[in-house]
Order: sequence, then C-alpha cells, then structure tokens
Amino acid sequence: MNNSINECVSETLGDYVLVRLKGEVDLSWSQQVRKTILAALGASNKVGVELSEVSYIDSSGIAALVEGFQNARSKNQQFGLVGVSKAVMAVLQLARLDRVFPIFPDLDAARAG
Amino acid sequence: MGVVAAPAQEKRALSFLADLSQALAVSLDLRTTLALAVERIADFMLAEAASMFLIDRASGLLVCRICAGPVDITGLKLEVGQGVVGRTVAENAPQVVLDAQRDPRVNARVDAETGFVTRSILCVPLATAQGPIGALEVINRRGGGLFDAADAEILRVIAAPTALAINNAQLAASIVEQTRIRRELELARSIQKSLLPKRRRDRFPLIGVNLPAHEISGDFYDYFDLPDGRIAFLIGDISGKGLDAAFLMVRVASLLRWAGNDAPAPSAWLRHVNVELCKTLQNGRFVCAVVGRYDARSGVVEFASAGFPPALLHESGQFHEIGADGPPLGILAEADYAEQRIELGTHALYFFSDGATDARDKQRATLGAQGLREIISRHAALAPEARLRALIGDLKRLDLVDDTTFLLLQEPRGTTMQNLLELTFPARADEMRHVRAKLRAALDAQDVAPELRDRLVFAVDEACTNIIRHAYRDCPPGGIALRLTREHDMLSFELRDEAPCVDPTSIRPRDLSECRAGGLGVTLIDQLMDAWRIEPLPGGKGNRFVMRKQLTKVESE
Repeated sequence: MNNSINECVSETLGDYVLVRLKGEVDLSWSQQVRKTILAALGASNKVGVELSEVSYIDSSGIAALVEGFQNARSKNQQFGLVGVSKAVMAVLQLARLDRVFPIFPDLDAARAG
Repeated sequence: MGVVAAPAQEKRALSFLADLSQALAVSLDLRTTLALAVERIADFMLAEAASMFLIDRASGLLVCRICAGPVDITGLKLEVGQGVVGRTVAENAPQVVLDAQRDPRVNARVDAETGFVTRSILCVPLATAQGPIGALEVINRRGGGLFDAADAEILRVIAAPTALAINNAQLAASIVEQTRIRRELELARSIQKSLLPKRRRDRFPLIGVNLPAHEISGDFYDYFDLPDGRIAFLIGDISGKGLDAAFLMVRVASLLRWAGNDAPAPSAWLRHVNVELCKTLQNGRFVCAVVGRYDARSGVVEFASAGFPPALLHESGQFHEIGADGPPLGILAEADYAEQRIELGTHALYFFSDGATDARDKQRATLGAQGLREIISRHAALAPEARLRALIGDLKRLDLVDDTTFLLLQEPRGTTMQNLLELTFPARADEMRHVRAKLRAALDAQDVAPELRDRLVFAVDEACTNIIRHAYRDCPPGGIALRLTREHDMLSFELRDEAPCVDPTSIRPRDLSECRAGGLGVTLIDQLMDAWRIEPLPGGKGNRFVMRKQLTKVESE
C-alpha cells in the first residue's frame, strides 16, 4: 500500500491557517487529520481545509471535518472547506452536510470569508 | 519307555512332518489333500484306522469329515465331551486309550454297529489360537502292539500343521461368504437406488438424496410430473432397518407412486394408501411419509404428512417449522390427514427423515433440529444442488445411525450468478485503500457508472471500517472476506468476519438532520444500497453483512 501520496500539512498565511489534504482520507490516518485540524483551530481563528486533491474520504474523515466545524462554531471561529473535490462533495451531499459547511471555491474566497 | 522318541523314529517323524506341512501348505484343494494326509498319517502311525473330526459351526457337533481304514464313519456326529474324540476337544488335551474294550471313555456304539473291534486309541486336538476346531484320531496299532506316549507326542506334532491348514481354509471360506453376501447387498442397494427418481436438470425445483445407514435403506423419495403440469412428490421412512424394511420400502414406494398418479389432494392420497397398508402391514410395521404437489406457475405447494418430521421452510435467514400431522401409515385405517398449503416464493422447503436429526457426533450427542438448521444456514448461499451436497458432506462427517433422506423444494435461482470479486484481508484500516482499489476495478469491469461506483465503494468501505472499529473492538482483529456477485442487474456485496456476533437490531441508521460525527456509516449504507442486512454466522462466531444494489439500465450502460 502506498500511503506516501496521502498528505496533511498546515500552512500559515498571515492570520489564516490552511490545512491541505491529499490522497484518500480514511480510517487509517483520519485521526492525524483530526488532530491537525484541531491544532490549526488552536493556532488561528480562521481555518480552512483544502480538499481539491482528495480523491476519497470516508465517514471517519468527514467526522474530523464535522468536529472541526463544531469546534470553531462554539468559539466563534471561522471554518471553511476550500476547493472541495468531486469525490468529497459526493460524500458531503450524501451525508447532507454540503449545506452545513461553508464551502469556498478557492483560497481567496475563503480568506475573504 | 520314555516320552521322547528314539532318534531314528524322531528323524522319520521330522521328515514326515515336513512332507505333510508342505502338502498342506501348497494344497489347492484342502479336502483332497486332507483325505490323503489322513491316510498317510494312519500309515505313518502304523494305525489300522484314522479319522478327523471337525466342529460343525452350525450345530456345534463334532462331525467325522475324513476317515481312513476298514470302516467308513464319515458323517458320524458326536457331542463335544462325548467319547474319546469329544473329550479330546472338550479338554483340548490328547487322550491315550490302551484298552478300548474296558475304557469308560470309549463309545462302544460304533464297534457294535460296525463290527470293528477297537483295541487302542490315540486322539489329539486340532488346536488353534481360538481353541480346538476338531480332533485327529488313530485306532489300533497294526500288528497288535499298543500306542505309547511317544506316539501321542508325534501325533500331536502332526496335528499342528493340519489344524493350521484347516483353520486358514475355514477363515478363507468365511471371507468368501462375507464377500458374497456383501456383493448381494450391493446389488440390492443398486436395485433400490434405481427405484429413486433420476436427478432432473431442466430447472426442476426438486432434489432428493438418500443416505442409507447400512447397505440398504428403508427410506425413499420420488417425484413425477402430473398431467395438469404440477409436480407430485413423496418422501417416506419405513419403521425399522435392514432387509425387511428395504423390501417393504420397494412396495410402499410403488404404492404411493401409483396412488399419486391421478393427482389426488395430498390428504386423500395418504388416506388411500393408508387403507391399503392397514390391510397388509404386519408385525407392528408402519410407514411415515409426506406426499405433496407443487404448482410452479402459482408457486403454491400443498402437502400432507403421516407421522413424518415437520418440514423446514427457510426464508431469508429464518426457519419455519411446518408440521401437517397425521398418524403414520398402516396403523389406523380410518386416519385423517391435514393439509398444508404455502406459497413457496423463492424460499427453500426441506423435507427430511428423522435420520437427519439423529446423526451423532463423536460424543454420541444427536444433531437435533437446531444442529440441522445450523448446517442448512451454513450453506444457505449455495445453489440448491451444491447446498444439498454440502449438507450431506457435513452429515457424513457425523455418525449416521439411521437412514437419512432429504427432499428439497426450491425454485432454481438464475444460473447467471457471477462471482465478480473475492477478497480476504486482515481487518485493519490500512488494508482498505487496497480493497477500495480492487472493488473499483471490479465495478469498472461491469461498466458501472463512475458516480455509482464511487458510492458503492464508499458503502463497502464504511461497512468494513465498522467491522474493524466495532465488531473487532473487544477481540484480536481477524479477517474480513468480501465477495461481490452479480445476478442479472443485481449486485450483491457480502462481508464475513470472525468477530463475536453482533446484535443486528443494534445497528440502525440515524436521522441525518442532526449534524454530528458518529453513526454516519450505516446511515449512508442504508441510503446507498437497495437492501442490506446483518446476520450472525451459525456457531456463535462471526457476522455476515450483505448489501444489494440493483443496477438500472442507465447506470449499467
């Protein structure tokens, strides 16, 4: 199994932290995704998760996004999904979460809030 | 005079013994060889007469089989213990009679009847490991001398290879006899088997199988087409086992078939045969049977039972016992039989003789109704014929104490079931990427549209991660077996695990309107699939999770 194409990195852009995800987000590493998102929310009040290169996400990955979203909301932080891939959007729609998350086409739109 | 023979005599005895042993060993016709041997023994022992008595197995009497000398006593019968010969066998010890006219051991009758004068007798047992099988006797030393202890010793030595040869011949004969009987039983078995109906391949909904506990069976089954297009069937069990039950089976099976030819209602059919059997059955014999009709067009099966075990209807994991009880045939001429009528649908209806539930394991515990259900469940996924074969295989591993017969009624499923993917992998999250890739490829090969494909992969992935996270939570992780099949446009995804059985009622989709992280998997599976179910595997371990999705034309093109 080649997990090397899975990637989860935080990028700080001024007051904005962007968590970039790549690959297939599944149970094998969704905990790492969860921790990264929560850490980003600890470091900044404006967090986005970049999903354009995510080719698969399972419900544990979705759960990490939901937890980030709920966490941010309880502290009045800004939390959005950026460049959501087709694969991720399909799952969000299935779970009826596509209208729950603020979703932005690109980083500029996300930063503008 | 000592017991040990003189050297010259000993040498002569040894060479005689060698000749005798050889003659017996190479004999192709033991009776002729023995007749010659007894003559030569008489000559060698310088006796006027010699005879050989063997125990007749049937009567237990000693019968003179071979005799040499002036008087032919072949066929003479003695009780064991009677006379010198009888005593030799009873005591398994040589007897020496020096004065026959005065010895109380001697039976004077033979002399009186034949005019022969017995003066002295030497008699030794024909000894085998299982005890004496007869005796060898020499009478009257020629020239008027007396037999002595050395003569007795020599005769005892001569008797040894003789006994051995006879014993071997008798064993061989009994083996030949057993083989003959077995061959005849096999013949009877094959005749009996030929009375059972031939397996029909034309999508015929009935399959039967009969396993005799011994060579031949008291069970039977039959099926045949009725003029109106329906199918008639019958299965029965004659009380008792063995030959007489088998002969009766032939009669009863023909009677039932004959009475069923003009398509009577099952209850009337049984009544008719019962009246007939009540007239003729003897010795407390009776017959348990089910007769029925099946209409493939309406899917309705009707049957009536005479003391036969209840039928088992197996539908989507559930068993229903269907009894239709009347008394066995041949007991009560005025007996009545209730009828059962069920819609078969796609379900499987099993009729079986009580031999099936009476099968014993190594601890002699019977399989029982529950055990039989477990075996049936275990093979439920197989097509009827393969299932029955697997079922019989399992039963054969047990000890069948009674004849065992099955009749399975089920509409054949489509023969177009294809196996698209079979994959077994450890229940670990890091395996799933690979599993998803395989599954994607298998669905692509079926031209499933990418959007649907991804959804199906997602559903299977969710099911697997549930197994990994929940089913295996409290035990060491085992494996997951994934099977993807297609029948016409129906895709089936089956997952089997080895985790403790889960309570299927505890797994329910939740309401999606609340936004929370947990319990999403099952909810999405419920949404994506047309149907899904979880059932524990029989044996208290493992679960089976089956999901189905119908491909619509648009999706599959």
